[in-house]
Amino acid sequence: MRNFLAFIRRFRILLVFAFLQAIVLSTYFTFKEFPRSQYLTSASEINGQILTARNEVTKHFNLAKNNRNLQKENIRLRNKLPQSFVRLENGLVKIEDTLFQQQYEYVPATLIKSTHTKRNNYFTLDVGKAQGVDRGMGVFSDKGIIGVIHYSSEHFSVVKSVLTENINIDVMIEGSGQFGLLKWNGHDPRKGTMWGVSNDSDVKLWSKVVTRGGGGIFPRGLTIGKVSAKKPVEGEPLWDIEVLYSEDYRSVQRVYVIKNLLKKEQEELEARIPADPIE
Amino acid sequence: MTIVIRHIIRFLIIGLLQVLIFNQIEVPWGVQFMPYPLFIFLLPIELGVVYLLLIAFGFGMFIDALSDTFGLHTSALLAFAYFKPMFFKLFSPRDGYESSVENSYSDLGLGWLIRTYGLLLLIHHFWFFMMESFKVNDILFTLQKTALSFVASFILSMVLQFLLISKSSKE
Repeated sequence: MRNFLAFIRRFRILLVFAFLQAIVLSTYFTFKEFPRSQYLTSASEINGQILTARNEVTKHFNLAKNNRNLQKENIRLRNKLPQSFVRLENGLVKIEDTLFQQQYEYVPATLIKSTHTKRNNYFTLDVGKAQGVDRGMGVFSDKGIIGVIHYSSEHFSVVKSVLTENINIDVMIEGSGQFGLLKWNGHDPRKGTMWGVSNDSDVKLWSKVVTRGGGGIFPRGLTIGKVSAKKPVEGEPLWDIEVLYSEDYRSVQRVYVIKNLLKKEQEELEARIPADPIE
Repeated sequence: MTIVIRHIIRFLIIGLLQVLIFNQIEVPWGVQFMPYPLFIFLLPIELGVVYLLLIAFGFGMFIDALSDTFGLHTSALLAFAYFKPMFFKLFSPRDGYESSVENSYSDLGLGWLIRTYGLLLLIHHFWFFMMESFKVNDILFTLQKTALSFVASFILSMVLQFLLISKSSKE
C-alpha cells in the first residue's frame, strides 16, 4: 500500500494528465461518431445566444450574393405559381387531391455558424425542437445539400455538414443510376468524393450527381454537384469519383430543413427485413 | 488578488477573441489561427502543475464548447500545459526565474520566448492536427497544416502578448 501511494505521488502529474486526456479524447471520439449528450456544444442555449449575437454582425458580409440567390429562387418558385399558368381547360374544380400525398415539409433556417477549413465541419442553425426540427433530418439550400441534423436543442441545431469525413449520404449519378456514398477527404471545400461505384461501369464526366433518397433523409433528385474527375482505386474494383459541389459552402446562409412525414412508415417496413443468418 | 483578476481578464479576452474572431477567419491550405495557448503560457511560474492542468482543462472546454470540436482543443492544450514546466526548466535563465516576472518578451527576451513558447506551440499544433485527422496516410497534409498554422498562430500570439502585457503593466 505504501509503495502504491509513493507511486501515485511520484507520477501524480502524469496521472492527472493521462486522466484528463482520457476524459477529453473519449468525448471527442464518441461525439465525432454520434452525439450522446448536448452540453458543451454550440447547440446549448448560452452558446447559441453568443453565436446568434455574432451572426447579427457577420450576416451582412455576403448579403449581396445571398440576396441574388434568393431572388433567383423566388423567380423559379414564382414560375410555378398557378397565376403564372394559362388555364387550358375550364370547369375543373379541385376538391381534394387523392393522387398526391405530401411527403416532405420544409422549415426555413439560417446558418448562424459555419466553418470550411477544419477536418470535420459542423454548422449551427437557428431552428430547433420548437420548430419541429430533430436529429436525422436533412438540410439543403437552393443550390445543393448541406448535411444532416446531428442534434438539436430547443432553439438551435447542429448540422453534420457535407464537409465531414463520414457523412455517407446516399447519392447516385443522374441518368445512369449508379449509386454510392458521398464522402469528403478534408482538402478542398469545393470537392467531395463519391465512393462505391464499380469500375466496370461507364461514368461520364460532368454528369450530375443527385441524392438517391434511400435513407428517407433527402427526397430523390436533390442536386449535389457534378462529376469532375475519376480515377481507379488501387487494389479495389472501384472508381474514385471526384464531385464538384454545386453549392459554395464558404458563403451559404439560407437553408431549408426537410421533414419527412413518411419516414416512420419506411423505417417500420424496413425493420421487418429478416436479419441475415450468416452474419 | 490583483494577479488573479488579471488572469481572469486574460482568460476572457483571449478566449473570446479566439472563439469570436480567430475561429472565424477561414484561410485555404488548412491554416488555422490558434493563439489561445498564450493564456496558459502567461500563467505564473510558481503555479503547481496539477492546477495548471486543471486550468488548461477548463479553458480548453470553454474554447471547445464554442467551436464544436468536442474536446480536440482541450486535448492539445493539456499537452501544452503538461510540457510547459519541463521546457521552462530546460531553458531557464542562469539565475533562475524571478518571482515577480511575467513570461513575456519585455521581461525575458525574444530568444527565450521563441525557444519555450515556439516549441510548446509546435507541440500543441502537431497534437491538434494529428488528433483531428487521426490517419497516418494523411501525414503530409497534417504536417503542412501544422507548419503553416504554427507560423500564423505564433505571430498572432506575439501581437496579442504585446497588447495584453503593456496594458496590464500600466495599471
